[in-house]
Amino acid sequence: MAHPNLRVTRRQALRKAAGALFIPFTLRAGKAPAQGGRRPFEGVTLNISCWSATYPKLIADYLPEFQEQTGIKVNYDTPGFPVYNQRADLELSTKGSGFDVLNVTFIYTSRWIGAGWLTPLDPFIADANKTPADWDFADFVPGSVQPMRDKTGAVYGIPWISDVLIAAAARFDLLAANGFGMPDTLDELDKALQVVNKKDGVAGFIAENHWGWIYPAYLQAFGGNVFRNPPDDLMPTLDTPEAAAAAEMLARLLNSYGPEAAAGYSYDQVTEALRAGRINYSTHNHVFCALLGEEGSKVVKTSNFSMIPKGPKGRFPGVASHGWGIPVGAKNKDASWEFIKWALSKDLIRRLTQKHGLGSVTRKSLIGSADYKQRMVINGIDTGQLFLDSITMSEQGYMKYRTVHVYPQANAQITQALGRIISGQMKAKESLALAQANTLADLKRAGVRF
Amino acid sequence: MPARRLAWGAQRRRSFLLGIAPAVLVLAIITIAPAIYLVATSLTPLNLTLPGTAWDFSAPAANYLDLAEDPRFTRSVWIQVKLSITTVIGQLLVGLGVALLLNGSSRVRTLARSGFLIPMVLPPIVVGILWRVMYAVDISPFHRFMAFIGLPVPSLITDPNWALTAIVIAETWEWFPFTMLMVLAALQMIPASPLEAARIDGANDWQIFRFVMFPYIQSTLVVAAIFRLIDSIKAFPLIFVLTDGGPGDVTEVTNYYAYRQAFTFSLWGYGSAIATLMVAGVFVLSYLIDRLTGVAHAEAD
Amino acid sequence: MQRQIEPGPVAAPPLRVPPSRYWVQRHRRRLGDIGTVGLLLLVLFPFVWLVQMSFRPNADILGYDLLFTPTLAHYRALWTGAFPASFLNSMITSLASTVLAMVIGVPAAYALSRSGFKSSRRIALWILATRMAPPIAFTIPFFLAYRHLGLSDTLLGLIIVYLTFNLALVIWMMQPFFDGVPRELEEAAWIDGCGVWEAFCRVTLPLSAPGLAATAVICFILSWNDFFYALVLTRTNASTAPVAIVNFIQYTGWEWGRIAAAGTLVMLPVVLFSMLVRNYLVRGLAAGGVKE
Repeated sequence: MAHPNLRVTRRQALRKAAGALFIPFTLRAGKAPAQGGRRPFEGVTLNISCWSATYPKLIADYLPEFQEQTGIKVNYDTPGFPVYNQRADLELSTKGSGFDVLNVTFIYTSRWIGAGWLTPLDPFIADANKTPADWDFADFVPGSVQPMRDKTGAVYGIPWISDVLIAAAARFDLLAANGFGMPDTLDELDKALQVVNKKDGVAGFIAENHWGWIYPAYLQAFGGNVFRNPPDDLMPTLDTPEAAAAAEMLARLLNSYGPEAAAGYSYDQVTEALRAGRINYSTHNHVFCALLGEEGSKVVKTSNFSMIPKGPKGRFPGVASHGWGIPVGAKNKDASWEFIKWALSKDLIRRLTQKHGLGSVTRKSLIGSADYKQRMVINGIDTGQLFLDSITMSEQGYMKYRTVHVYPQANAQITQALGRIISGQMKAKESLALAQANTLADLKRAGVRF
Repeated sequence: MPARRLAWGAQRRRSFLLGIAPAVLVLAIITIAPAIYLVATSLTPLNLTLPGTAWDFSAPAANYLDLAEDPRFTRSVWIQVKLSITTVIGQLLVGLGVALLLNGSSRVRTLARSGFLIPMVLPPIVVGILWRVMYAVDISPFHRFMAFIGLPVPSLITDPNWALTAIVIAETWEWFPFTMLMVLAALQMIPASPLEAARIDGANDWQIFRFVMFPYIQSTLVVAAIFRLIDSIKAFPLIFVLTDGGPGDVTEVTNYYAYRQAFTFSLWGYGSAIATLMVAGVFVLSYLIDRLTGVAHAEAD
Repeated sequence: MQRQIEPGPVAAPPLRVPPSRYWVQRHRRRLGDIGTVGLLLLVLFPFVWLVQMSFRPNADILGYDLLFTPTLAHYRALWTGAFPASFLNSMITSLASTVLAMVIGVPAAYALSRSGFKSSRRIALWILATRMAPPIAFTIPFFLAYRHLGLSDTLLGLIIVYLTFNLALVIWMMQPFFDGVPRELEEAAWIDGCGVWEAFCRVTLPLSAPGLAATAVICFILSWNDFFYALVLTRTNASTAPVAIVNFIQYTGWEWGRIAAAGTLVMLPVVLFSMLVRNYLVRGLAAGGVKE
């Protein structure tokens, strides 16, 4: 029974082993600084993340090229929109170095820039050693860069898209056959859909269920707004009669003319349904609508596009820019900037538009080029022009509500409120009153004074 | 030799203290310090976008007063209560039933016990994904089967009336093996004589269960219920994967609400207040457990 | 030792029992067996479904055909991404936190068992409360603290956090084991001149080996299965396998093949280990509330 060789040192040995195991744990994944050698950033690894829009998904395929050129290996991650935003926000709040390049989401620009969680990019742009002149920062549409600037005008993000809401009719032939053009007002839309819904097995209307993005276009068309007078007066105005009327209109369009489970369509699912010709009309992002003219789409010959329909108080197409930014805690900012330069280079973007029909780009030279124009003309309609017209409209300033630093809270409440209305859980007035109360409470908690 | 005895006694005492000291120290650092930090944070309006809020104790009770008036918080508590009670009852019933079934002796049933363990030992996130597959209408074999036999079932996790039930079902599936094992162990300790006597007297199965078996397993059921109750408060991965608190906030239990306030909206002060209240509630329940099980070791000595 | 309760053999039933019931009683055991197997298949169906999905070729991934040619494509695809790194992270954190918890906790459990300190009961209560507290109560302070300590997104950070439940578990589980070792053996060693801890290593530890093994395995399982702490406290470098699976959730099109393969891989070690220690599982999960 006795084990003469065992002593208390067994415990000590265990402790030593445990200690030895710890040493590698405090080290992070290798981010070796640039060594000499041909490629300037040989051996560097970058962690990059963006939400799963068309453009970020496209450049994933071109990352090996990037590695060829610069020696940088990229760990690339494109989760869905809400998941991405939450993670990025959490990570940025730690000022950590978990990510080297992040997408600066439109609704978070004010929050992230204001809190000092992003790196100012002007030094990188201005430095001729880091950025060759022909990269041409001035080529980016000023309206797209604007949300990425702080109050003093310093730049914190380079935009890769301006999301613009336009109207698309995948089966315009059905509308035309019944004597309708592209509806110019919401009333016309209602009348047209009444006739056309379910003809040829095609449902009439759909919209992606990010109501915080879709609904404000209707809200403002009825004369309402999210806040009383953003960015100065942040009193939410979600319980006004205009808000209820807009919500009822949107709900009616979806419930009367939408497919099964119309409330559950994400942006990808809407695009797929339109391309397959299963659903007819939608107010949808231009970048997705451009895909109706691309390979695999069954509706190339039958689609039509226009600006979104007018409401009683006018037309307010939603416009939102997203861009690439560098977290303030990133370890190798020069390598990060290298990525941003490459990802938004004229050459790469041009190839993406030519090969994949990428729309809603932010470089003026490209938007004006013959190739791009040609790609954006689908079935005779110049969607590129619609895009530009909508951006011009947005310069009036009605999108200010979206860059308020507490907008994400309101966004969440709007999405839930509309969800309740469309699913029939609550009437519009009730649901919006609840959203108003919740938003007010959330805003107060976030430090807004009324 | 009394003097030597004393020295040895003191030496022993010292050795034991040495053994327990590191554990107590570590536990103190990793449980008490965070607890204090949590309560302290709950007294501030901490929000990381406004650095000044970190040590702002000007209105210490603000978060708690806010909570008292927050309809979403009270709603989350109510949802938690509904979830906990239904899932614990479900786990008790299913666990009891399966334990009774497995109580017979046969090779098959002894082997089956290991199989029934699987839901409980799977990583909870994998359980969430399993059930996501089962609840996704276009993919799930269950939904397809129901449609096939002419009783199509619409999506449960996006239906505000059924989402919580869907989660209860998944949760019950995941944890019934726990009660099953506990009840089985208790069943197998029932002495044979009362059972045989009852059978000889001609009692049927139900009577045997009700009058002979049940008294023996009663206390086990209560203990199991309390443990499962406390664990049900921690429910997270299922909700995260299946519904994300939705649709709307019908499946937003208190734990999830705290998570949202802290990690989605970055309202750390408010989230801390919710967490503090949860911990207080759990402490009360822990005290109850201690009463009922009598802290087995101290008694057994 | 567990006693098997057998339903006693049924003697010739009185004539007033209807024939069908007689048949049921006669074949009681076999019916029970069939019922058991049937129920088992039903209960395990979702689990089996996921595993088979991981072997289905992508084109057919949502199909019902039971005859499909299995493919390892999903597993291979996992290998090239970030998943192996996260798998390794899971391994490291689970092993390290188990070792750490055992090293600190086992002596404490022994001391609590033998010392007869009056505060043992209070300590036991404290440990129970720790086990019961909801993770959110820990994640908030740890998240905020780690920002300052530079432990965000590190394996060491996770290991420390896992101690909050593992250490309590080790003490809670090992104490009854030590209670079960007769004191006389140790006292004999003490009389021979051994110190307390020397006797512990020579006498008590070998006798409690099964308990040690079971406790270690349960610690490993609990650390491996953790999702919430890893989700919140890690980002890219230290993310563990359960969190990596969530990265495949694309909000729109889930990559079902890869999710199924990742899920299968993540569950494999845990299921295997649990089978080994199934007799101790409930004790561990109930933190000792059951008297064996």
